[in-house]
Amino acid sequence: MADRLGDRRNALSSGTVVEVRSLTKRYGGLTAVDDLTFSLPGGTITGFLGPNGAGKTTTLRLLLGLAEPTAGDALVLGRRYRELDQPARSVGAVLESNDAHPGRSGRDHLRTLALAAEIPPGRVDEVLALVDLDAVATRRVRTYSLGMRQRLGLAGSLLGDPQLLVLDEPANGLDPAGVHWMRRFLRRFAEEGRTVLVSSHMLAEAAQTVDHVVIIDRGRLVASGRLDELTRRGRTLEDAFLELTGVAS
Amino acid sequence: MRALVHAELLKQRSTRTVAGLLAAMLGLVSAAVLLHSLALPAEELERIDLQRLVFGRGEFLATLFAALVGAMSITSEVRHGTIRATFLVSPKRERVVGAKVAVSIVVGASFGVAAGALAVGIGTVALGTRGIDVLLEGRDYALLVAGSAAAAALWAAIGVGVGAIVRNQVPTLVGICAWLLFFEGLLVGDASGLGDVGRFLPGAAAAAIGGQGPDGLLAPGAGLVLLAAYAAAATVVGMLATNRRDVA
Repeated sequence: MADRLGDRRNALSSGTVVEVRSLTKRYGGLTAVDDLTFSLPGGTITGFLGPNGAGKTTTLRLLLGLAEPTAGDALVLGRRYRELDQPARSVGAVLESNDAHPGRSGRDHLRTLALAAEIPPGRVDEVLALVDLDAVATRRVRTYSLGMRQRLGLAGSLLGDPQLLVLDEPANGLDPAGVHWMRRFLRRFAEEGRTVLVSSHMLAEAAQTVDHVVIIDRGRLVASGRLDELTRRGRTLEDAFLELTGVAS
Repeated sequence: MRALVHAELLKQRSTRTVAGLLAAMLGLVSAAVLLHSLALPAEELERIDLQRLVFGRGEFLATLFAALVGAMSITSEVRHGTIRATFLVSPKRERVVGAKVAVSIVVGASFGVAAGALAVGIGTVALGTRGIDVLLEGRDYALLVAGSAAAAALWAAIGVGVGAIVRNQVPTLVGICAWLLFFEGLLVGDASGLGDVGRFLPGAAAAAIGGQGPDGLLAPGAGLVLLAAYAAAATVVGMLATNRRDVA
């Protein structure tokens, strides 16, 4: 407990929630993430942008302790993820929208996570209501639409009432109403002073949601900073992105 | 660790997988024991070693299904992607594997008791209807059922270890089935030309616990110790592999 509060205080005093330093990940001869450095200030929604295969998901997996870096550091709240005491209480993350057992009810899915994270069972119903899944909570996940599965994943990430939310392509496969819902949800989350890192290759959507961007290409940092600085002088995010990633004619 | 054990218990209870495997196992035990008791010639079934072998089908099938339950506690999470959320919540991954071993041992022991008791029950009744005297005594029965529980519990732990090492569900389950149903059969006895190393294999050790093959296999106690060593080794290697390798 003291440790966790310490984590948060350190992060808040430095204003940095995520710090990635010279992060490198190689798979055999392939360099998926190449000497990547960036940091996320607290209270922002940062779009993590790049073409398909740029290394976005790999970077998030390194950040979340699911993969080990070849070199460099990825720190969350000042520590490596796997060294956090109760990570679910400071970080929530969804990497794949479909990560639930089809034969288990949405509610039981969340209950297993709450038990493991030592989060009171009442919180399960709270997060189900938060993502509008309370009506279908006892149905097996197999009967859920893609949008419902995505929201179930999100509910799982919110169980510990985290300070940082990390989402990999959360708008993928969502219908317009689902995208709208997600955007509003992320805005509200960030308005409470919390931090969001959201990867995307859908630039028009990202431009409407995020206030900061980190752009990578072929594993390397291309740009990072405030969205309004990147899109000055009438330049759209798409223009900036294509120019920076070298695709522009 | 307690919290993780509770989480793993809920994972097992909240899908139909374990109940389905239990039903399949009990069906197969009934069929196997009935077929052997009713179809084998009476003069063979009058031998005590054959009676023990037929009644021991319960233990054999319990070890197989317990191993599948243990393996699926990990491979099913890999298959459905829940392993990511599991390790995000519990980044000390060896504890997750430990909790899976603990829960699988309990489920495996239950499978073992159920299969062992069903097999001796059906076998006794079936032999009785043919007028064949059952030569097994109370301690033979106790050894068959208790041995089934112990062997299935330890094989469930081996299943978790193998699942943690292989991770991919289909190769894991096919591998366990092939090992227990086929490969060990080739290696036990002198057919392989390697002498009697076969009795030190984990499937043969499981059979020995139930009192099978006093001439060819280990004594029950030695089988138990050896199988426990296999289970401990599988658990440790499974923990190390899970800790060191990246999660997809």
